[in-house]
Formats: sequence, C-alpha cells, structure tokens
Amino acid sequence: MNFDTLLLLGSIIIPVIGSLMFFLGYPKNDDLLKKVGYLIFGFPFLAGVILFLKFESSDGYCFELLYDRMGLQELGITFHLGLNGVSSPLFAMAGIVGFGAGLAAIHSGNERLHLYLGLLAFMLSGLMGLFASVDLFFYYLFHEFALIPTFIMIGIWGGRDRRSIALEITIYLTLGALISLGGLVALNVLVDAPKFDFPHLSSALAEVAILDSTAQKVFGLLLFGFGILVALFPFHTWAARGYDAAPTSVSMLHAGVLKKFGLYGLIQIAVPLLPDAAFSWSPWLMWLALGNILLVGMVAVAQTSFKSMISYGSVMHMGYCFLGIGACSTLGIGSAVMLMCAHGLSVALMFLLASYTYKRTNTFEMSEMGGLGERTPLLACFCIAATLATIGLPGFGNFWGEFGIFLSLGESSNHLTFLIIAALGIILSAIFGLRAVSRIFFGEESKELSIEVEKSKLTDLTKTELLPASLILSALLLIGFWPQSISTRIDQEIDRRYSSLDGIMSQGRPACCPVDDVQSNENSNPTE
Amino acid sequence: MVVLALSMLFLPLLSALVTLFFLRKKGNIASLLSVSTAGGILVLALVLIFNFEDDVMSWDATWFSMGGWELRFGFLIDGPARLLLFVVAFVGFLIHLFSLGYMEKDPARPRYFGGLSIFMFSMLGITLADNLIMIFVFWELVGFSSYLLIAHYFKTDEAAKASRKAFIANRVGDFGFLIGIVLTYWSFGTVNLIELADLADFSPNLTTTILCLALACGFIGKSAQFPLHVWLPDAMAGPTPVSALIHAATMVAAGIYLLLRIDFLFTEEALSLIALLGAVMGLYAGFCALVQKDIKKILAYSTLSQLGYMAAAFGLGAPGVALFHLTTHAFFKALMFLGSGSVIHSCHHEQDIFNYGGLRQRMPITALTFLIGVLAISGVNFLSGYFSKDAILLWAYNFNLPIFIILYSGAVLTSVYMFRLYFITFEGYSRSENAKHAKENSILMTGPLVILALLSIFGGYFSFYPNRLGSYLVADLSTVSSLPNHMWMVVLGTAAWIIGLVFARSFYWKVESTDPLAVRFPTFFEICKSKLFFDELYRFYINKIQDPAARFLEVMELLFISGLMVRGAAGMTALFSLLAKACYVGKIHAYAFWFLIGTLGFLIYSAGLFE
Repeated sequence: MNFDTLLLLGSIIIPVIGSLMFFLGYPKNDDLLKKVGYLIFGFPFLAGVILFLKFESSDGYCFELLYDRMGLQELGITFHLGLNGVSSPLFAMAGIVGFGAGLAAIHSGNERLHLYLGLLAFMLSGLMGLFASVDLFFYYLFHEFALIPTFIMIGIWGGRDRRSIALEITIYLTLGALISLGGLVALNVLVDAPKFDFPHLSSALAEVAILDSTAQKVFGLLLFGFGILVALFPFHTWAARGYDAAPTSVSMLHAGVLKKFGLYGLIQIAVPLLPDAAFSWSPWLMWLALGNILLVGMVAVAQTSFKSMISYGSVMHMGYCFLGIGACSTLGIGSAVMLMCAHGLSVALMFLLASYTYKRTNTFEMSEMGGLGERTPLLACFCIAATLATIGLPGFGNFWGEFGIFLSLGESSNHLTFLIIAALGIILSAIFGLRAVSRIFFGEESKELSIEVEKSKLTDLTKTELLPASLILSALLLIGFWPQSISTRIDQEIDRRYSSLDGIMSQGRPACCPVDDVQSNENSNPTE
Repeated sequence: MVVLALSMLFLPLLSALVTLFFLRKKGNIASLLSVSTAGGILVLALVLIFNFEDDVMSWDATWFSMGGWELRFGFLIDGPARLLLFVVAFVGFLIHLFSLGYMEKDPARPRYFGGLSIFMFSMLGITLADNLIMIFVFWELVGFSSYLLIAHYFKTDEAAKASRKAFIANRVGDFGFLIGIVLTYWSFGTVNLIELADLADFSPNLTTTILCLALACGFIGKSAQFPLHVWLPDAMAGPTPVSALIHAATMVAAGIYLLLRIDFLFTEEALSLIALLGAVMGLYAGFCALVQKDIKKILAYSTLSQLGYMAAAFGLGAPGVALFHLTTHAFFKALMFLGSGSVIHSCHHEQDIFNYGGLRQRMPITALTFLIGVLAISGVNFLSGYFSKDAILLWAYNFNLPIFIILYSGAVLTSVYMFRLYFITFEGYSRSENAKHAKENSILMTGPLVILALLSIFGGYFSFYPNRLGSYLVADLSTVSSLPNHMWMVVLGTAAWIIGLVFARSFYWKVESTDPLAVRFPTFFEICKSKLFFDELYRFYINKIQDPAARFLEVMELLFISGLMVRGAAGMTALFSLLAKACYVGKIHAYAFWFLIGTLGFLIYSAGLFE
C-alpha cells in the first residue's frame, strides 16, 4: 500500500473518525473544534487535489486498493478502491465542495454544532467513497452512507416544513435507490460475473449475450432508479423542496455531489454495459430531459425566493446532463461528465452565497433584499460570477459541458428538435439568473433591507466566508479557461469504455447530417 | 507573432485581475493601470499589424478535445482582422484616456476600469479568433462586460433593467448563433474559418441558407438589429465612454465583423434578407432618433441606423464597403459619443437636449469637434462619412434600387436628426442653469475629441490607409470606383445632407422647451415616438405570457406532480393502511369474526368451488 492509496483510503476513513469524535462531543473547546474541523474536512480536499494531479491516465484505474478477505468474497464482493478518468475529476470536485461545505458548517454557528459537523463529515466520507469505489456493492453502500445523514440533518436543522420534507425526501430517494439496486442486482445475476465490480461486469457482459428484451428491462430499472436520484422530470419535486428546506452545507453537498451519483451510475455502468438498450431508451430519456430544461426552467422563472430559484435551476441543469447521456455518443457523455463537475461546483457556490445573503438580510425573498449591492460589493461580485457560471457563460466550467452537449445533439438529425428546444434553456436560465441578481443587488435599497441595516451592522464578506467561495470559484474558472485540465482524462476513459457505443450509433443512425450524406463523407467525418 | 498576440490578448485580463484582487479601493492606481494597459495594447497591436510581412497569419493549439471533437485556440490575423484590431486598439485607447477625465469623481472607478479591461480582452478575442466557437466564447464575454458596464450605476432602476435586457436580448441572438455553429460543425466537419473558406464549393441549398441565417442571429443580437434592437437604446444607462466604446464603435460592430468572417457561407436568399433588414433598420432608427430628447438615445438610434447601413452593404455583396463604413463610423460615432460625454460631464449629468442650448460659446472645442462628427455622419462632401456612406448608396443604386431608395431616405433623415441635435444642443440660448454654467473640459477629454475629429475628417481617404490596414478594402472599393453613375451620386449625396441641413435649420435653429415637430406635426411625432411599440410588445410578452405561463407551470407542478402523483401515492398507501388498520380493532369478537370468514374462505377454496 503506497502513499497514494493511503490518501484515497484516508479521504474516506478520516471523515468517519472525525464524525465519531464529533458525535462523542469532542473536542470540547470551541477553538479546537474549529481547527479539528479544518483538518477533517480539509483532508479529503487535499487528497482529492493531490490524487487529481498525480493521476496518470493509464488503462483503467489508478491508485487501486484491493482487500478481498472481507468474508463476502463468495458473493463476489470485495473492498476495491481506485480512480479512473471519469471518477478522478469528480472525486476532486467532491473534495472541494466538501471542504467548502465543511467550512460553511464550522462557521455556521448552528445549534448542536458537534452533531451537525459529525453528520456532515459522515456524509462526506460516503461521498468520497462512492466516487472511489470500483466495487458496485460499496459504490451503493457509500451512497447510502451519504444519504442517511441528509435526512437527519434536514429533519433537525431544516427550514420550514422540515419534518414533512425530510419524510418525503426519504421515501422518494429510498425508492429511487431501491429501484436502481434492483437493476444492479439484476445485472449481476444475468451475467453471473465472478466479481461485482465495474471491470469484471463489463468483461463478463462481453461474453454473455443478454436477450434484448431483458436488457431493456434492466436498463429501464437503472434509468428510472438513477433518474429519481438525479431529479429527472417528473420525479424532481423532492429536489426543489428538499434543497429549499435543507441547511446550507447539506444543500451544497447534496445538490453538488450526491446528486451526481445517479448520473455517475448511468455513465459508468448502465450505458457502457447495455449500449443497445441505452440507445433504444434514449428518446424517452431525452424527452424527459427536455421536461427538466423547459418546464422546470419555467418554474424557476416563477420563483420569488432566492433559494428555491437556485434549487429549481439546479434541477433544470440536470436536464443537460441527461441530454448528453441520451445523445449516446462519446462527445455527449464526456461533456455530461464535464458539466457534472462544473455544475457540482457552481450549484454549491450558489447555495453557499444564498446562505451568506440570508445571514445579512434574514430572508430569502428576493423582493425584500433589493439594493444589497452597495453595501456588500464583494458578495455581489461573487453572486454575479456564480450566476453567470450557472447560466453557462464561457470562462466558467459549465460552458464547456453545455456546449459539448449541444454539439453532440447536432450529430444525428433525429436530435435536432432536442437541440433547438434545449438551447432555449440558455435564454431561460439567463432570465431567472439575472432577474435574481438585479432584484437582490441592484436598484434602490428596499424598506426591509433598511430595517435590517439599522438592526445590525451589515458587512461585506468576511475572510472566513471568502475562503470557501473563492476556492470553489477558482476551480470553476480553472475548468473554464483551461478545459483540458479535466477533459483529457475524461475523454480517454470514455473513449475506452464506449468504443462499442459509437459503432451502434453509426449503425442505428439514419442519414447523419442535415446536409446530404455525400458531402459530409467527403469532408472527413469528425467522429472518426 | 504568437507570443505577441497572446500577450496582447491576455494583458487586459491580467490588468482586470490585478484590479479585482489588489486595487478595489484604489481608484487612481486602477484607472492608471487600465489606461496604460490600453496603451500597451495599442503598441502591441501596431507592432502586430506593421511588423510582419505575411498577409495572413494564423496559429492554433488544442484548447479542448472530447469524443473526437477538437477545439483549437487560434488566431487568424488577416486583412479585416488587422483593420478591426487597429480600430479597437486605437479608439479603445482614446476612450480609456477620456474616461480618466470623465470618471474622475466616480467612487466605483476600479470596477469601471476593470470592466473596460475585461471588455478589451474579449473584444480582442473576437478580432483575432480563427474559429466560430472561439468567436462565440468571446462573443458571450463581450456581452458579459457590456452587462457589467451598463450596470455601472446599478442603484438606478434604469441601469438594473437595461443591463438585464441587453444580456437577455443578446442571449436570444446567441441561441441562434449556437445552433448555427452546431449545424456548421456537423455539415462541414470544421468550424475553423480558413478550413471553411477552403470548402468553398457550397451547393447553395436550403440547409446552407438556414445555417447561415442561424449564424446571423448572433449578428442580429450583438448589432441590435431588428427584432432585437430594443436593448441598445436602453443600454445608454451606462457611463458615456462605455456607450462610445462598446455600444457604438466596437462591440456592436462585431456583429458586422462576424458576417464578414463567414461571408462565403451566405446564399443569395440570406444575403437579400440581411440587406433588407439592414436597410429597414437604417430608416426606422432614423425616425426614432428624430424625436428623442435624450442626447445619448439620439446617438444610440443613429448607431442602429448606421449598423443597418453596414448590414445592407454586406447584404448587397460588398463586405469591404461594410468594413470601410464600420471604420469611419467608429471614428465619428466615438467622437460624437465622447462629445456628448463632454457635454454631459459639464452639465452635471443633464442629458435632455432641451435643457442645453448655446453651448458653443461655453465649450468651443467640444462644439467644433461635435460639429465635425455631425458633418461626417451626414455625408458632407470630402469628410469620412461621405466616402463610406456614399459608397454604400452607390452600390445600392447600381445593384438594388428599392434598397437604395430606403437607404437614401435614411441618409436624408440622418442629416436632419443630426443637425437637429447639433442646433438644439450648441446653438440658441442656454435653457437651464446647468447649461449656463457649463465649462470646457480638461485636455484629457478634449484631446481624444480632437484626434477623433481629425480621423473623422481624413478617415475617408483611402490613400490614408497603409496597405497593411486597407488590404481587405481594396477589392470592393475599386469596384465602387468603377461603378457607373458616379456624378449622379455625388449630386444626390450632396442634396441629401443639404436638404437635411435646411430642414433642420428652419425647424430647430431656435427652440424653446418643446419640440417644434411635436407642435406642427403631432401625429407624425407620436408615431415616431412610439417606436412602433416594440418595447410594449416585448413587455406584453413578458408580463402577460411568459410570467403567467411560468406561474401556471409552477401551480401545475404543485398540483399534479407534487400533489397528485407524489402525495397521491402516499395517500393511496395511507388509505390501504387505514383499511388494514380497520381489521385490527383490538376486540376479541372482531378477531373471531375475521377468523371465521378466513376459515370459511379457506374451506370454500379447498372444496374447489372457485374453479
């Protein structure tokens, strides 16, 4: 076991140790608590970044760690960690968002802070674990690790209606997880792989021919199971309500990282293993994704509360990821991974900034905040940057993901309708994003705000608030200005795993482009 | 070349970052930094333009690759790029200088100058980019910097609304642009401008027409052409130098530049549509400008109208002439905007021209240079606008008579509203306290005015342009000079500005606080003032269609998905549990009863009665 695998393991174990310590009420001293908190939440962040930098795009997994004497090996279950080209940027993203959420939590001043931090650290360990798992059992298990604290934290520290929302989200997500588990188990039973992990499943699938109809059913289970977890239209209502009620750190981690679990599952498992089924399900997936973009986007326009606008906006942008997956091409799926990374960062940043705004104004209602910009220029600056990132301005990571997805939709003439409708989303998100900015920060100071100003001295962002926000923002800018930093490894991994897919696409695809076929063949088809 | 171009491109970004991180509270240093950056850009640009021999310089490197698609970050510095580069760097530098004076008392100077630097970065990016996607990236970034700068006075409602409107209108245009890029990529396998041009044998068909019209949506948004023109007049809420740089000289002209860069893609039908759009805009905006009271709005509508001329020139197949007009327009429109800035600055941010008057005596340099701008735009003989605009008119006269008639009426109108502006502002007597106490501004502000005035005078002589700058214009301009009906055009062109002058002189020489046109032709005045109700139309769409639809969908979501599906599912479960609970009442005889029924059922089943 070398240093790198230790880091990988440590990023899962250290938060667990930390959370146990917090549960027991240690450290008692407030100052020490903060310092220990920095360490606990900082470790996965550092590990994520270091492993991201050290990642070498070989074939398959890096930093592998295998422990196969757990007593479950008879079932094909082993404790197997590692990172590949797709999971490495997501792992780093989880580390960054986790650190940001941790910092926000440490300085949140919540009641029962020990319990809060403990649950959050537990959640973080699950998040780090799920991207680091090669074994499907642990991939699923870590997801549950991360999910359970979510419910508890919404129930205890949530906003209005927290009890009923916690209940709703619990039932909904458990249902989604259950369906996807059904799909995973079915997959395992069907191919009878010697081990329940990604590489073994795919090699076993190559040998066993699954009946088309069976594959369709299994893929359907996976699609809707994972879809519920990612808030695919019309199974999205839990998300907006849940994030709305959840405390900041939970919204950040859930919307930013945990929600990517389902997409990650679709990209790593469902589509590469069952490409034919994916291809035949793709129209369904894409129509529903348009529901996310257009209908949920419109609902976001109608929101008057800042936080619920962000929630609906985040659900809306998931639609693009689904479209990328539905395009069934390496370009589309690779761009979906790009967007997952960038979206994780940007939505976490938005929730973080929303909580900062709340701290100053005591409300999420945008109409009551008007004219905040004069008093808090830095906050306004960050908020504008984050908003523009979410609406896909070039220079921020989200742009590359969205653009790649749009480009992938142009490949097949069947997808042109989707392209046109989906591209409307760039207008919609500009409408609600900029409306929010101008309602909150521009214009004259509102009456409610003036009252708040009199009550408390309204200050701009403090140093402790700046740190997580600028960390996340710089990651977004890095991807935006230098997309190669994450795209190369994603591209390699997707290319390796999806070589079969492009074959299916080109067979199943009718006349490729809007222009006559002859011409496009002559002019060197760019997919080759 | 590469290092030079890269450093020129990233210099302003660096300056903006330094301002953001270190100079947020230090207005003086920030503004000096930004101005010296602009100076640096000018020097680098001149070196880049004149120091290299090759006519076309190109370079690229991989920026992003995914799934077989590779995006390259590259430069293409050819004829049009060199000319626009010169305009952007030169006019940009002058406007930076002017801003030093204009913004000297503004507390938010770091934000302002940082925004200008970001703008320079993105605009240089558009100028140098060698492929459509890169253009799109910087395209959106200029939109962002424009948003930022329009919102400079963000405390006013006007600026808050205008910035949003500008961004969203541009986004609507970019929507088409984006789709156009995707279609281009999959139709031709590349978005690189050189490679696209090499695939020259386009079979002009419906797809190509759709494709180039989709790309032209980007132009419509950025250059504020019909039907997305509504954002530009509102954008005047930003500081005046910003209006000069972004909303007159460079950014809005980037739309025309985009068309030039992809002119080989355009089919006949698409070209005629653009020519028509441009010509109608030229006339429509003229009528709007005629009745405005705000000095900047008059200039804004005038910009719209001139952009229409450029679009018409492009549509009639004369991209070189369009670029020529873009250049001269950049000079005289920047001049007039800065002149208006000078006036506004002296009159304590008064912008209503009916509150000016008699400023010629108080601000002689501003008045004289402004007059030169007015003469240039009206096409007075031998000034810059005369050459470029009459080239367009002559071209239209020879190739498309209906378009010529529209453009010519527009030209007459231009000279009317421009002289109106000049007479009301600078002649007569002062009609407000602010105007009475106006003083000429410092050399920081008048200096750029004088330089721009000189360019507005001489910028029309083609021999004035070194070959490195004018190479792209040669072909089209020599065609123009060989066109028939030259003398006839000189007569018509001269007649246009003289008619305008006489009309304006008789109407507007001595005005009171009301518009003479409103008194004499109230109906006509009202029609012009309504601007044909586009703003109302869009407002109606937003308030009465979009927002209610959004609220309707919100309710539907709550009702059907949250309510019926999710809660309904939960409700069904609860109902079953209620029914099931009814069996467990906790009374022994009830259990005995159920037991009896169960036993009976079992007996009946085993007796085979169900089969």
